[in-house]
Amino acid sequence: MTSMKLPALLTLAFLLPVAGRAAEPIKIGVISEAQAVAGASIAPAAQLAAEEINAKGGIDGRPVEIVAYDDHSSASDAVRAFQRAVNEDHVQAVVASYITEIALALQPWADRLKTVTITPGAASDLIPEAIAKDYAHNRYYFQGFPTSSAVAHMVCDSAKDLLVKHLGMQTAVIMSEDAAWTLPLDATYENCLPQAGLKPLDHIRFSKDTTDFTPIFNRIEALKPDVIITGVSHVGVQPTVQWKNQQVPLPMYGRSSQAINPVFWKDTDGGAQGVILQAFAAPDVALSPKTIPFAEAYRRKYGAFPAESGYTTYDAVHYIADAVHRAGSTDTDALAAALEKTDYEGALGRIQFLPPGDPHTHALRVGPGFVQGVMMQWQDGKQVTVWPANLANGEMRFPSYIVTKR
Amino acid sequence: MAGTSPVRPFWPVLAILALAAFLPFRVSGYVLGLLTLAYYFGVFAMAWDLLFGFANEVNFGTTFLIGVGAYSAGILDNRYGLPIWACIAAGTAIAVIGGLILALPALRVSGPYFGLTTLVAVLLLQNFVVIFSGVTGGEIGLVVPDVITTDAAGNYWIALALLAASGVILTTLSRSAVGLILQASGQDRIQAAALGFNVTRHKLVAFSVSALFSGLAGSFMVFYMGTASIGTLIDITIGVQIIIAAVLGGRRTIIGAAFGAIFLIGLTEILRPIGEVATFIVSAVALVVVILAPNGLTGMVARKAPP
Amino acid sequence: MLALQILIDGFAIGALYALGATGFTLIFGVSGVLNLCHGALMVAAAVAAWAAHTEGAMNSLASAAVGLAVSVALALATFRLVVRPIQRSPAVRAEEREIFILTATLLWGILIQEAIASLFTSNAKTVPPLIGGVTLLLGVRIPRNEILTAILCWAVIGVLWLWVNRTRTGKAVLAASMNSRGVILLGIDLSRIHVAVWAVYGLLAGVAGVLLGMFLGVSSYSVGPLTASAFSIVVLGGLGSVYGSIVAAYAVGYLETMTAYLVSPAYRFIPALLLLVTVMYVRPHGLLGRR
Repeated sequence: MTSMKLPALLTLAFLLPVAGRAAEPIKIGVISEAQAVAGASIAPAAQLAAEEINAKGGIDGRPVEIVAYDDHSSASDAVRAFQRAVNEDHVQAVVASYITEIALALQPWADRLKTVTITPGAASDLIPEAIAKDYAHNRYYFQGFPTSSAVAHMVCDSAKDLLVKHLGMQTAVIMSEDAAWTLPLDATYENCLPQAGLKPLDHIRFSKDTTDFTPIFNRIEALKPDVIITGVSHVGVQPTVQWKNQQVPLPMYGRSSQAINPVFWKDTDGGAQGVILQAFAAPDVALSPKTIPFAEAYRRKYGAFPAESGYTTYDAVHYIADAVHRAGSTDTDALAAALEKTDYEGALGRIQFLPPGDPHTHALRVGPGFVQGVMMQWQDGKQVTVWPANLANGEMRFPSYIVTKR
Repeated sequence: MAGTSPVRPFWPVLAILALAAFLPFRVSGYVLGLLTLAYYFGVFAMAWDLLFGFANEVNFGTTFLIGVGAYSAGILDNRYGLPIWACIAAGTAIAVIGGLILALPALRVSGPYFGLTTLVAVLLLQNFVVIFSGVTGGEIGLVVPDVITTDAAGNYWIALALLAASGVILTTLSRSAVGLILQASGQDRIQAAALGFNVTRHKLVAFSVSALFSGLAGSFMVFYMGTASIGTLIDITIGVQIIIAAVLGGRRTIIGAAFGAIFLIGLTEILRPIGEVATFIVSAVALVVVILAPNGLTGMVARKAPP
Repeated sequence: MLALQILIDGFAIGALYALGATGFTLIFGVSGVLNLCHGALMVAAAVAAWAAHTEGAMNSLASAAVGLAVSVALALATFRLVVRPIQRSPAVRAEEREIFILTATLLWGILIQEAIASLFTSNAKTVPPLIGGVTLLLGVRIPRNEILTAILCWAVIGVLWLWVNRTRTGKAVLAASMNSRGVILLGIDLSRIHVAVWAVYGLLAGVAGVLLGMFLGVSSYSVGPLTASAFSIVVLGGLGSVYGSIVAAYAVGYLETMTAYLVSPAYRFIPALLLLVTVMYVRPHGLLGRR
């Protein structure tokens, strides 16, 4: 053995375990609902984000690996998937579900199994409120989607410009599904709509299982408001199609989660024409320099634009990776602390989490400069952004049966 | 009575229980968590089998009993912070009361009418939970802040103990006068009554016992899961899964129902990596078993055993 | 004005419920089967019609025809693959047949539901209306297709009545529902009758499903509630009585509509459920049930 070989061998022996450790993947568990239009984008978007990260060399040399689970829109399935993800597949973080019921069911488990968990779509204020109330037991949980109250504020702010100033509207009726996520939404509506200049004449809550919306629309029409302010998520296609079939002469404006999905036009067979909805992402609006490139990359890879939860999941995977990098480890406490300090530019906008002590701890910071969202309107098969003015790419247009003052 | 239960299960079952008790030392927390849920489901399925399997009454109401018990326990903990054992006891008691209230209209009818009454009870409870969402958490669910233990093995043993205890009690009941009379009335109601048996009273006993175990297991389950919601406790799909588990396992055997539940949940979990078609495959398997092997899994096993 | 709206809206809903319930009763009356995949057949028809229009670019009439073809095919498949094997199985005792068929049709319905959700997602779908636009009826603005829906439902029920009471096959079906052994003795092929009945049932469920898809829209989640609704209405009306089913359908339809208009849309289903409980308690065999 020459004198060169031994040091070389020793160096190699030294490097090998380090190289082995460096290549150990960072696993992120993704739990979603593949059969639901809103949930079907979550896993593919996560995969896309992972591939982007890996193409740039991973995080400090470690590749990101996505492990996907389907929870079938069932909370108990989601819990089992979570247990499997952490105990069997040893993931370091979990991105789970756009359904509030499931997100809440997972909260205790994030603590029990000590795993950082982010929901890319559940909006209820209950989530961050639970984190604020019991920070010690919920500090690993983050809400990667704005709260219902934030949604309502956005609708009101835009209504002030679009409906009151532009169209001279004065009265509205709030129409929302009777669900827990709409409680904070409606409460905020009742406060902020008058401040925007729209007086709520009535507030109609209908059962989530409603299939016949005729009585509801007739009731609203009898009150003669200028606009219907919506809060629907569990339903969407049915009320919209019936609204069109019955030619209800009032615009629908507000949060209609299903209407954000690109396939909504087909599902309603064009009945969505004229519906104005709030969304946190759109494929052709540069909410940030990353929005449009992501939407295009998703479409190239999967054949269609992503649903809203696709954007939030894409960001989630990226800022988890970023947090791992900043923390220098995947230890849960270090990761959670790093996540709290997130200041990341995602497809949604600038991502920051509200700090402990805030009544909405670990909720996304919303507002100009952060996550803001847009108002868009379905026009001839396309989602046209109509607000805010600096991002708008079209004007409001309504079907002939809708009557507006101007 | 000929042909009641083809399986004489005492020693094999005892062996299986002993094996099950030692599992926590050998398998991961994930498998334990899975089995914990499966065991609770097993209790639900066994309780259903007592009523349905023997009394031959189509019963969709198990989830009514589970829901009443589980939500009572959960609300008492969430709102009033009562100690866990008190919540569970109260939940069970309220489930029994709920069962008796349901039995009032239900036992006056039979067949599909009975089934409808139980179905309506479930729908009413569902609506009730959604309307009074301030108390029940509505469709989002109720957070149950206390937990018996966070240790996976501990939770596993609790569920196993409950499964074993309810299995013993329910099986004993099914072999007793109550069970035999239920069977007789299930096969020929008029003849059973003509023979002087108070069929209604025995059905009431079966109903109450079914309610007791459904409520008990339901209450324990919410303290394990940490949440109570319509989707995990009351929804018709849960009731359907319980029925399928019991029929799949083998009707009128009680323990067959437990095996059916474990099989169903286990199979679903094993197929999880396949993704969304897992449910389709599991349902297809269950359908094939029901059509081709009506005596279920225990029936298939029994046929292999010497007569 | 409000009264007129309730009257018209309730009438259309009632007609749809009646059609669905009639099919359910037919199958129970003749085949003795409580078919728990009823909702799945309806949804399958509606989704097939939607797919034919959206993916296959067919017009509304052709799409509806596709929907009907699918539900008839599925109904026959239900009979051949699920119901008949159990009815003929030596391992199942006579008094147990009902529960096994119940469980099996339940599972079969779940399979269909899962297949629909996997292929087309669980999102709600609507079927393009046969005629678009609205019209004024007694001062109430109503979509033209809604009027057509009510007319079609009643037309189909009428045709069914004619078939059962005036045609040879139909009369054989009626006879078979009363006394199947007598029918065999008369030399009529009973199995042919069963096939005919299931095919007719598939047609009824399909029409109800497609019309429902046009009027309100359906999703894979509708499967359970639709079956539960048909089941409830049929039992409420009295098992085996078609008149009972129709009466019950309208009772439930109007109760729901009135509640939605006069009380609150959130409580829409409650009075109907309470009616069910009351009837079960007071008149356990249904409003017009025999025995």
